[in-house]
Amino acid sequence: MALISPARRTPRLRRRAGYLTIRVTGVLLAVLALGHFALTHLFHDVAETGSVFIAERWASALWVAWDAAMLGAALLHAAAGMAVLVRDYRTEPRSQARWVGGIAALCVALFILGAATLTYSALDPS
Amino acid sequence: MTAPQLLFVAGFLAVNVVVAATVVLVLRGARAVDGGAWSAGGVLARLVRLPVERAEANRWAHLAHRVSGVAILAFLVLHLLDVSLYALSPARFDEVHALYGTPVMRVFECGLLSALLFHALNGLRLVAVDLLDLSARAATRVLGVVVVASLLGTVAGSAVILAPVVTGGA
Repeated sequence: MALISPARRTPRLRRRAGYLTIRVTGVLLAVLALGHFALTHLFHDVAETGSVFIAERWASALWVAWDAAMLGAALLHAAAGMAVLVRDYRTEPRSQARWVGGIAALCVALFILGAATLTYSALDPS
Repeated sequence: MTAPQLLFVAGFLAVNVVVAATVVLVLRGARAVDGGAWSAGGVLARLVRLPVERAEANRWAHLAHRVSGVAILAFLVLHLLDVSLYALSPARFDEVHALYGTPVMRVFECGLLSALLFHALNGLRLVAVDLLDLSARAATRVLGVVVVASLLGTVAGSAVILAPVVTGGA
């Protein structure tokens, strides 16, 4: 494992954008994700949170908005956070680009999957 | 076990492999950058120093933040996949979701809670360090609060999560 060489550092603007993304979405997630866990594991037993529970919850616009915000914030946070890790643990620029690109693609795919699930289920509560 | 349940179990195992691999990666990286492995005795000697000398703790927090972050992401991928089953068929989703109530998954959920609490509280600490311009000494003191609060929250939450296992309800 080679050390990070300053000459191959990521451009400053991109690092700043990543830094801000992590901080802003992180503060949001401290509320959204911990609230989500508390609701589905502490206020309700996890065994009660099946399809009936989801149907009731997604009938409310508030919870759909909560879940949509959480989905977007979590995946942005994940992509930006993983980019930091990749830059630390992969030192070859090409390898970095491959990893960052792959993780970004995964996050975009998961966002589409989550957004589609949420939209479809909220519009068609059958 | 049905096919979706088997897929979930496979995904669950993959999540655990990713977490274990991340621990190895992060520890090896720390060793390459900072040099030397830490023997248990050395770590203990460092931890019993006076609080002001415990800047070392910040480095451990940095490593734990990475591992907990990757662990949460690995679980998030699995969780998004299983929830998306709901849109296909609520009955199929319920089959898979039933696994979340099993004792093994409940223990995993306690671990997830500890990772979430530490990552969230330590993340807020890092924001505070930057915004309030905390000194290294203050940052270390806040880290103590973060660790204690995460532990207390995990113990209290685990009692709730594991209660059905203990009383025979799960």
